[in-house]
Amino acid sequence: LQDKVQETIEALRLAGIKVWVLTGDKHETAVSVSLSCGHFHRTMNILELLQQHSDNECAEQLRRLARRLKEDHVIQHGLVVDGASLSLALREHEKLFMEVCKNCSAVLCCRMAPLQKAKVVRLLKTSPEKPITLAIGDGANDVSMIQEAHVGIGIMGKEGRQAVRNSDYAIARFKFLAKLLLVHGHFYYIRVATLVQYFFYKNVCFITPQFLYQFFCLFSQQTLYDSVYLTLYNICFTSLPILVYSLFEQLVHPDILQSKPGLYRDISKNSMLSFRTFLYWTLLGFSHAFVFFFGSYILMGEDTTLMGNGQMFGNWTFGTLVFTVMVITVTLKLALETQFWTWMNHFVTWGSIAFYFIFSLFYGGIIWPFLHTQDMYFVFVQLLSSGSAWFAIIIIIITCLFPDVVKKVFYRHLCPTSTQKSQSLSAPQAQALSCVESLCCYQHGQSGCSRLACLLEQMMGQCKASVNNCHISSRSNSL
Amino acid sequence: MMASSYNAKEEDGPHSGSSTHGGTGVAKNKKPDNTAFKQQRLPAWQPILTAGTVLPAFFVIGLIFIPIGIGLYVTSNNIKEFEIDYTGLELGSPCHDCSKNFTWNSTTPCVCALNFTLEQPFESNVYMYYGLSNFYQNHRRYVKSRDDRQLNGDPTSLMSPSKECEPYRTSAETKEPIAPCGAIANSLFNDTLELYYIEPNGTTTAIPLAKKGIAWWTDKHVKFRNPVNDKENLTELFKGTAKPVNWRKPVYELDPSDPENNGFINEDFIVWMRTAALPTFRKLYRIIHKKPSTTSTLPSGRYTLKVTYSILYNSVKAHAVKGQDKAFI
Repeated sequence: LQDKVQETIEALRLAGIKVWVLTGDKHETAVSVSLSCGHFHRTMNILELLQQHSDNECAEQLRRLARRLKEDHVIQHGLVVDGASLSLALREHEKLFMEVCKNCSAVLCCRMAPLQKAKVVRLLKTSPEKPITLAIGDGANDVSMIQEAHVGIGIMGKEGRQAVRNSDYAIARFKFLAKLLLVHGHFYYIRVATLVQYFFYKNVCFITPQFLYQFFCLFSQQTLYDSVYLTLYNICFTSLPILVYSLFEQLVHPDILQSKPGLYRDISKNSMLSFRTFLYWTLLGFSHAFVFFFGSYILMGEDTTLMGNGQMFGNWTFGTLVFTVMVITVTLKLALETQFWTWMNHFVTWGSIAFYFIFSLFYGGIIWPFLHTQDMYFVFVQLLSSGSAWFAIIIIIITCLFPDVVKKVFYRHLCPTSTQKSQSLSAPQAQALSCVESLCCYQHGQSGCSRLACLLEQMMGQCKASVNNCHISSRSNSL
Repeated sequence: MMASSYNAKEEDGPHSGSSTHGGTGVAKNKKPDNTAFKQQRLPAWQPILTAGTVLPAFFVIGLIFIPIGIGLYVTSNNIKEFEIDYTGLELGSPCHDCSKNFTWNSTTPCVCALNFTLEQPFESNVYMYYGLSNFYQNHRRYVKSRDDRQLNGDPTSLMSPSKECEPYRTSAETKEPIAPCGAIANSLFNDTLELYYIEPNGTTTAIPLAKKGIAWWTDKHVKFRNPVNDKENLTELFKGTAKPVNWRKPVYELDPSDPENNGFINEDFIVWMRTAALPTFRKLYRIIHKKPSTTSTLPSGRYTLKVTYSILYNSVKAHAVKGQDKAFI
């Protein structure tokens, strides 16, 4: 047995992942291995579905087991099935079998032929909750199971490289599975889920003002923004910040994630891509777009001049105002979501906004000889030379992001997720590098001003020594 | 269990080792570098939005913005605006005859006058705007219908304007190119508005309306240029081109008295060419500069607005739904 297998299986169980062992060994060997590796506890009640010879026998035994499970809720149950009984059960009594399995915390299938392993995985995949399955193995007889599961992991082992060659991911030791799932899986799930949601959000913000404008231009498809802006929005102005976010974002330190497998439950069942989260992001996009468009409309649409000398703006200036507000808000929204600011995040976030301004100044500053229309000539400079336009930009951005900030603070205080609670406990060795502003560091008697000073120091990356003297409140202890 | 060559190298870490043959031979180390960047250990600032940080920040921002808000409110209350509607659709209004009887073939202009009273004097510079409603300057075909090269003074574009200007590209009768081409130029606003002050003793004095400085500086000096920078012979320069269909005068007669304001660089023309964003819009028409002494620019009292009606907006008003012409001071 490799080392740390017990800890790994324990961690997976704490993470809410159900562990099944499918082996070709015979019954006694399999049970003893299960006990020694922590799959079965000594305190678990082991149910058996072994050596069934006929259909009726199998059904009878299954019903007996189901009754047993219903009666006894206190202790945990484990199930042992052998290959022959399994094929009988799967032929006629799938539902009953799945009923029994669901209520067991650990299942051991012994005497499994390779194809049967794949069959069990397929059975699980098609069960009503549609769980995501992961198969891990190191031998050639595990190949079909690895290929069948959603994620297949091969261990580079003594039995050759067949499993590795057919897998999605290959690791060298079983214990690395814990870090793979709990740290890397967690990080990448959050990154990819936010990436997808953010892309929909920023494109909703982009297109909805154009749509709203159609109501004011007789639906003639006149674009609100200049065509160069249309092209470069997704390529240049808003692409890099989300790219860097999805490479570097970490909500909590990896050490904390490994020491607290329970945090994995925060992202289980595809929670960050659920319908509710998607609705939140999309509605946020729509509401922001409405604020952009109608904020600009109220300000300068019909009858106000924004320039000190009484001259009027045209439609391209109006569109550029909406676009400017939009680019900045969308980037700042991602800045609000980012919780791990490396130098690259700073560079691309503020750099994208700066690049937008510089590009617009450059684009509108010259009469380009190859362009057919000079619609945007000097439009951006005129927009920026109006104090009211600057004021409008600031007001509209704050109006959009203010409810979001309030919502985040509200939810963090009223119903924090376990991940958020553990963010207030920083890993000891990381303190020199990353400062975490923590709820627990509130020392009695500190006034609000000194906390602001603490915040400023942390923003500049220096930690006060007093962070080490955190007294952890009882609130964050209850995990 | 299969006996196989157990390589001590396989003990440590995520080694890929050599691929097919067992583990003997030189194993290429494909381990990624142990740098902070590649192992995701970059130093970072990890802010957490808690009430403890957010509330003081809101408080501070609020404190900063309250005096700004008060200042803005006081300033905006001092701005005065007066609106006169001279559309003339109702029976009783002075411009009703003009709006009803005028056709676009008439050679004599139709003039109507409206009286109004200013309750409070207007100080400092007074800006005079004309406003149109339900005039869709932001329609896509309309916005496209211009030739910026021609307006920039390019001689080839002068003689062969861009195809975007269709159907206002060449004149139907003479087949000459239209300068300036396009629908935007064609619909140039040419109502003339004049303002007269009625003194207490009954005499009317004309108020001087400045027509310089109403267009963007870059528009007038860079974007719009007459074909050659020779201010004298504009008539010669535009020889071979036709005037737009709905104009009464050709482009080189827009302001014969001032060569700096004639041809393409006429400021009223430039202001019109900057298409408005919404169907109800205003454009700057004239500026009444403030008087050097402390007298108010427009003292309170009775005034007359004399409107020389244009031909185009009759047809616009007939088809639009209750479009209105307005003058704003």
